Amino acid sequence: MSIEVRNVTKRFGDFVALEDVTVSLPTGQLTALLGPSGGGKSTLLRIIAGLDTADEGTIDIEGTEATNLPARKRNVGFVFQHYAVFKHMTVAKNVAFGLEIRKRPKDEIEHRVDELLRLVHLQQFAHRLPSQLSGGQRQRMALARALAVEPKVLLLDEPFGALDAKVRRELREWLRRLHDEVHVTTVFVTHDQEEALEVSDEIVVINEGRVEQIGSPDDLYDHPANDFVMGFLGEVTTVNGQKVRPHDVDISTTPILAGAAQGTISRVLRVGFQVRVNVLTDGGEDVTVELTKSHANALGLGEGTTVWVTPTPGSIPRMVEKAG
Amino acid sequence: MLWFSLLVLIPLAAVVVKSAEGGWGTFADAVTNRQTFAALRLTVLTSVGVTALNMVMGTIIAWVLVRDRFPGKAILDLVIDIPFALPTIVAGLVLLALYGPTSPIGVHAANTRLAVFLAIAFVTLPFIVRTVQPVLEEMERDVEEAAASLGASRFTTFRRIILPTLAPAIFAGAALSFARGISEYGSLVLLSGNLPYRTEVTSVRMLTYLEGGDTASAAAVATILLVVALLAIVTLDVIQRRVARRG
Ligand SMILES: Nc1ncnc2c1ncn2[C@@H]1O[C@H](COP(=O)(O)OP(=O)(O)OP(=O)(O)O)[C@@H](O)[C@H]1O
Ligand SMILES: [Mg+2]
Repeated sequence: MSIEVRNVTKRFGDFVALEDVTVSLPTGQLTALLGPSGGGKSTLLRIIAGLDTADEGTIDIEGTEATNLPARKRNVGFVFQHYAVFKHMTVAKNVAFGLEIRKRPKDEIEHRVDELLRLVHLQQFAHRLPSQLSGGQRQRMALARALAVEPKVLLLDEPFGALDAKVRRELREWLRRLHDEVHVTTVFVTHDQEEALEVSDEIVVINEGRVEQIGSPDDLYDHPANDFVMGFLGEVTTVNGQKVRPHDVDISTTPILAGAAQGTISRVLRVGFQVRVNVLTDGGEDVTVELTKSHANALGLGEGTTVWVTPTPGSIPRMVEKAG
Repeated sequence: MLWFSLLVLIPLAAVVVKSAEGGWGTFADAVTNRQTFAALRLTVLTSVGVTALNMVMGTIIAWVLVRDRFPGKAILDLVIDIPFALPTIVAGLVLLALYGPTSPIGVHAANTRLAVFLAIAFVTLPFIVRTVQPVLEEMERDVEEAAASLGASRFTTFRRIILPTLAPAIFAGAALSFARGISEYGSLVLLSGNLPYRTEVTSVRMLTYLEGGDTASAAAVATILLVVALLAIVTLDVIQRRVARRG
């Protein structure tokens, strides 16, 4: 195990930002810290990096007790949401910073910087200033800078949070490929469940300062430990008292589905290749169904159509928990 | 640009023309006059010294004001501007009361070169504090954190990250501070005693020329001050670029 966080509690005044958090993050994996805004993800990441200190609990990094080590001695690479570039230095100088501090020989630094800039596809920008780069390029530079010192772990706090959707998507795929190449233990924070599900080996769901669940993306998606995790990883709708994902609902215009609930379509919304249908059942439930456009066309669905809905056999529904 | 010309360039040109009117002879006479030369030397050297001190102290005060939390901080923040806001002659009276013959703190600086130094230091203090402060406030903390996580000590972070970022502000403040220093009159005229060859500064010397009806010599001295100020600004700018690039 590469990073061991044990019983960490962090308070800001009266406010408890992390409450008795215990996680172990395995060596060489790409782990996502996922959770809603204000849940404590950044706080946990900063405590691992030594940029904040825990009030209680311990941190081990690669078998070294790091709880009281200052950030500069932890050998942890950190990438910030807003890039944190050294504005007055060229791209190459930014990347070389950690190596220069370690007083490595000049030609070794030059060689390594070159190699890293190639890795992040910035070799032609070596002599530019960060202000002459796009956001995505800046973040790649920040990543190269963090990797330069060969950190034991790489920590990224919403690294793509400030970028637009398309660049985000590109960079997250690129990060996955980079990780497969470099294999450094990586933890990245995100509040985007799609991002977490897509690139990580393991996901830690954090909410209100507590760990809700730890597991592989499939695990979490298929077997959420509680309603919060289920709701956070994707949309949820209720059919016949069972919680399922909208794409796990079968819909038909004839009552052939066993145990299906009868209802009327109140709204049809097309989103790209998908169609979202709202069905008001006779039992008073508002069921959301997602299906492909061609399927919806084949069924001839429209507002006011009478339909029958039921959870798809084989999907794993959760019973609605009784209040209290 | 037109506004700039009207406001700055025309009066400057007028001074230079005036000094040229007297012919090269008057100019040379004024400059080689031993008393004038002593006044110029005292003014320039003291201003250089004060500016150097301000660059260090001003940066430290700005740092404390932005980064530290302590009771009375808001008051200190206000007090910084007082030397700047006071009419200079009032500043002179304050300094006389503080460092004069009846000094309550036992520092008797009246009629000494220390008086010139203190007066100039007093009125120029706010410049660097006020130019550095906003830059420090805008500086993102995560940049320092990034340096720390890359292995930099507090000192290395200061030298290689913070200082180059602050350099333009420090040097801009220094240019203002120096320019104000060489032209200072009101605040030091009371305390310094204006002793020829000892504590007489350039502006006092110029006034003497003017009172004697020798406008041409006064303008000549003014032109020299102008050149000194321009040289200082250029020098500071060159050093600033070096520091900012060194990083
Ligand atoms: N320095 C601080 N002082 C006081 N409260 C803080 C401080 N830093 C964080 N908090 C509080 O701790 C809680 C957790 O913050 P944190 O930054 O870890 O959230 P997060 O999960 O990273 O959220 P986001 O996705 O918005 O970045 C928040 O409610 C925040 O207000
Ligand atoms: Mg955060």
